Amino acid sequence: MFKIFSEGRKYLRYFLSKTIHQKNVLTENNTLVSFSMTKKSQQFFASSLLLIAILFTTGCLFQNPDGGQRVGIGYNKGYAPEQPIAFSHELHVGKNKIQCQYCHNQVERSKSSNIPSLATCMNCHQQVAGRNDPDAIKKLRDAYSEGKTIEWVRVHMLPDHVQFNHQAHVTKGVSCQTCHGEIEKMAKVYQYTDLSMGWCVNCHRQPENKAPLNCTTCHH
Amino acid sequence: MSNLENNSEKRSENNSRPQIERNTQYWKSFEEYNNTPEFQQSLQTEFMSSPLREETAHEGTEKDHVARREFLKLMGASVALTTAAGCIRRPVQKIVPYTKQPEEVTIGVSNWYTSTYFDGQEGLGLLVKSREGRPVHIQGNPAFPLNGSAVSSRAQASLLGLYDPERLQKPFRNLFNEKRTNHETVNVSWEDLDNKVVESLKKGGVAILTGNLASPTLRAVVSDFSKGFGADHYTWEPLAQDDIWNGQRLSYGEGVVPSYRYDKAKMIVSIDADFLGAWGPAVTSAKLFANGRRDITNMSRLVSFDSTYSLTGANSDIRFRIKPSQQLDIVLGLIAEIISAGHSDYANSDAVKSVVQAYKGVADKLGLNAEAFAKVAVDLWKNAGQSIVVAGGIQTKTKDSLQLQVAVNFLNSLLGNDGKTVLAGSGNRNLSASFDQLLTLIKKMKSGSVKNLIIYRSNPLYNLSEDFGFKEALTKVDNVVYVGDKMDETASFAHFVATDNHALETWGDSEFAQGVYGIHQPLIRTMYDTRSFALSLMTWGYIGQVGPKRLQEYETYYDYLRAFWREEMAPKLAKGQDFETFWNGLLQAGYVGETTSSSARTFKVDAFKLIKKSEKSESTLELVLYPTIHIGDGTLANVGWLQELPDPVTKIVWDNYASVSLKLAESLKAKQGDLVEVKVGSKTLILPLHIQPGLHDGVVSISVGYGRTKAGKVGNDIGHNAFTLVTIDKDDVLFAGLTAELKKTGQKYELVTTQGHDSMEGRQIVVTATNKDIEKAKDANIHRHHTWSIWSGHQYNGHKWGMAVDLNTCTGCSACMTACQSENNIHVVGKKYVMQGREMHWIRIDRYYTGNPESAETVFQPLMCQHCDNAPCETVCPVAATVHSNEGLNEMVYNRCVGTRYCSNNCPYKVRRFNWFNYAKLIEKPMHMALNPEVGVRVRGVMEKCTFCVQRIKEGKNKARAEDRPLKDGDIKVACESACPTQAITFGDLNDANSRVAKAFKEEPRSYELLEEWYAKPSVRYQSKIKNNDQITPAKKGAGHA
Repeated sequence: MFKIFSEGRKYLRYFLSKTIHQKNVLTENNTLVSFSMTKKSQQFFASSLLLIAILFTTGCLFQNPDGGQRVGIGYNKGYAPEQPIAFSHELHVGKNKIQCQYCHNQVERSKSSNIPSLATCMNCHQQVAGRNDPDAIKKLRDAYSEGKTIEWVRVHMLPDHVQFNHQAHVTKGVSCQTCHGEIEKMAKVYQYTDLSMGWCVNCHRQPENKAPLNCTTCHH
Repeated sequence: MSNLENNSEKRSENNSRPQIERNTQYWKSFEEYNNTPEFQQSLQTEFMSSPLREETAHEGTEKDHVARREFLKLMGASVALTTAAGCIRRPVQKIVPYTKQPEEVTIGVSNWYTSTYFDGQEGLGLLVKSREGRPVHIQGNPAFPLNGSAVSSRAQASLLGLYDPERLQKPFRNLFNEKRTNHETVNVSWEDLDNKVVESLKKGGVAILTGNLASPTLRAVVSDFSKGFGADHYTWEPLAQDDIWNGQRLSYGEGVVPSYRYDKAKMIVSIDADFLGAWGPAVTSAKLFANGRRDITNMSRLVSFDSTYSLTGANSDIRFRIKPSQQLDIVLGLIAEIISAGHSDYANSDAVKSVVQAYKGVADKLGLNAEAFAKVAVDLWKNAGQSIVVAGGIQTKTKDSLQLQVAVNFLNSLLGNDGKTVLAGSGNRNLSASFDQLLTLIKKMKSGSVKNLIIYRSNPLYNLSEDFGFKEALTKVDNVVYVGDKMDETASFAHFVATDNHALETWGDSEFAQGVYGIHQPLIRTMYDTRSFALSLMTWGYIGQVGPKRLQEYETYYDYLRAFWREEMAPKLAKGQDFETFWNGLLQAGYVGETTSSSARTFKVDAFKLIKKSEKSESTLELVLYPTIHIGDGTLANVGWLQELPDPVTKIVWDNYASVSLKLAESLKAKQGDLVEVKVGSKTLILPLHIQPGLHDGVVSISVGYGRTKAGKVGNDIGHNAFTLVTIDKDDVLFAGLTAELKKTGQKYELVTTQGHDSMEGRQIVVTATNKDIEKAKDANIHRHHTWSIWSGHQYNGHKWGMAVDLNTCTGCSACMTACQSENNIHVVGKKYVMQGREMHWIRIDRYYTGNPESAETVFQPLMCQHCDNAPCETVCPVAATVHSNEGLNEMVYNRCVGTRYCSNNCPYKVRRFNWFNYAKLIEKPMHMALNPEVGVRVRGVMEKCTFCVQRIKEGKNKARAEDRPLKDGDIKVACESACPTQAITFGDLNDANSRVAKAFKEEPRSYELLEEWYAKPSVRYQSKIKNNDQITPAKKGAGHA
């Protein structure tokens, strides 16, 4: 298998370089001279292309980040990385009923929803030592008192060519859970939706949402 | 290669395009004017760059070929690699929250801070945009009494200086050998530097060399320091306005650079004063000038006597081409015309008469149109008290420069302009820099009485010619301390480099006009181990235990500044407010105070007697040096934005050149791009020749500011240093009127211009009319086309964005181009790729010449994506990457684009730009911090173009929605619009009947669409340019429209 693959690649490289060498040769009819390929080399070339295509599609389909749920290529639904502090939304939001905007306080004013500064955590954790995981609270307090910070791992990541605006959605009354799922039940945050363009547009398309469908709404 | 040529010939033969009847009224290049075969051929090639062309015509070295092929091979490999990597999760990103979030920071929302910019000549009030604590964009401060929202290219581009990777990051010292011929800079700690410098300062003989200091507080620090160490302070600028200063002093008794009210004048005569370009407060002047021309029925007239092709000349209604040696004759000739007509009280003064008599009818002698010249004098007198005569800039620094200034002042006083349009009261008293002071300093240095020289951000070793002998003088100084942020030409000859902060890292204040004070806020904490000039002086005062108490007692310059404002400024400016309220108000508004009123001063007629007809040695060819609007004195030479900004008139980038007239070039048998040797006295300079229409046949003009050798990677060895031609003649520093010789060297050099690509083939693109034409019909010279369609068109139920561009007020200054570049993360591609037509500017300014090459006039036209309703680009995109929005925007979706370039091919306005390379990857850190986070950077193989600043539209809409109110006209200002000094660009909602842009579309008779006959229905409309020259445009001969 590997041999075929490497052979194919070698040939592909040969083919590409050959094309370039041939490129400048123009006849008086202003047509590119097509160089002849042997039948064998044609087969090689076609098969190597096919192989690449198969590897590309099947490889991705086998990726199952969420234990059985099949997602599209390149999406990360279900992504739940380890965080430096195992912060539990289940505990804070679900059990203790802290409002989302207590911590993510800029979400109504900005395109980006902020991760709370350590000072915000310390508002409570000055007193609350954390019965379940005192080590984590200690880590937090130490970082705070040393003027350091915690580097969280980003869960929801859109490509750079997508501009998403939290303010526009939140002020319109779209609840956090619509996109982020039942965050109050998540002990560990995972990506609830696939955040694909189709998923965005599905919502924007509903007439009752009166959402814009221009490309530059998200891409500029 | 021969195949190729045959081929292109074939193509043009077989060309099925209809032949276009050409209109020679407007032209962009000589090739076009003469309609040469080369030009015809270039029209067939829509793109300057194609792979075929690249490998034949321009592509440089063998290395490039190899690189291309290697690249394609690599691409083959990367296709294979993607199979393995394609579905793996994108790289892990970290989110790093603040420990304690600053109150004013909202992540994702920009803050705007007031600040100022001063380049030695012009001061601007600024608003600087900060995102998460880093400055990303610079605009004018609309509240600022001088420039308002107007801002120059240079002020905007100064942002890149902050993030320049080559900016010095710590203090240095130089390990000199005995003769100081080596440069061996090594790190030094601030402590060591301070101790050694103070030790040396204590030995006395201290001199400080700075440019103009506009900051009252910094001046106080310097004077405190000078008191402490017994130092002498010399101010000098390479483009010093000492001629104006001294002329005012001789004429009226007090040295000042007056302010000019171009908006109040009906008749403006400029003798080589490029007040719309690179002389004086050009941005403020352009703003005022445009205000005086907005009402086309009552607009001012600008007459310019131009020895270069300046921007002022380009915008004038009547332009005379002159030699620098004729400047004085012209002013005296005008005076003679007025006096001999018996006007004014001076008509009976014998003293005046005796001087002026000889100049009656001087126009003929000077080869100017006598009738037109006499009319200038008549118009001046007709508008007495409402006119301005200005002369200035290094273009007027001939032997007669002082006499010229006195004569100009006399003319203004004679006309009663002084106190009405020429205001000393609101002038600038801080522009005292002079070459006299520099020459005194050099004398003292040579005599050995200067033992310590502190140089603050001046660059004499670049800006001075050999005549000054500064380099030798410098070796006589025991200890040279340079305060600046670059290891430039001068810094590398200093013993110590006390690295200065960037302006955006420093507190400060300013006085740009008498009585108006601006505050200069820092936008970012010092990025490196640097220290402001003021703090360095304060530290040395503290260590040396000398100087007034306030110099020693404050730990930071901010403390000094606050104390200074509390004690010295607040009492006269606070109007009874307590200091904190006053201070916070100052920070918020960015300025305080108002200009003092002016009254007419009495002209000292004695001064006029100084004027004597200097015996002219008739030289056939005269040199004139001039600064350009983007490079200026060369300080910002390392900023790519400025180097790639085309010169407004010549449209040449990345170079300077010797401009001559067509006739002179023909007599030399030289062509565009021939390397010529310019010889002035014993000095020579070899540089490429540029044939400039509208130049006097006896003039060779060269721009200064190029040819830096230690500016940095971008600016090094770009062009040639024309400062080296400056000559000292009996203590007069001469920049112009010097006898020059030109000689062909036989070598060629490729000058790169952005003009001449993008030709518009003689259609109705720019429309000009004269004041006489519009008396008959306001829409004179606009040909309206009958258009029809079988399609009903788009429906726009919400907003419909549109833009109106007034060609009448556009001066071509190009501030919009830099604003766009900064706002939209547009990359600089370099000379080589501009040559291939790959410049990335989303907005360009086309310059058209009209008339014949001898006396060509110019019209400027900013051109950006026209956001057509029936956009030709949209219909040809195979992947729907460019589509129409329901608000009338022509959208470009980068992530869909596959790079076929069909859209660009089909765009009649040629405003689309293609990413040939992954420019964003080439951005060196920390330059990436200057990128606007609201706009993505584009990758290789993607088309891009003007988006009407869609990010600003969204921001404006979001803001209005958050405040629960409808969007108002003016809420959204696109980048080019907000930077434009003359408000020539208006953006808004066409569906809002009361918006400025809707009114401009519907009610303005001068409004027209580009290529209306093509029925692309652009969302941009232009308003025709009006020349106030009392001429009538002859009726056109037939066609001109395809």
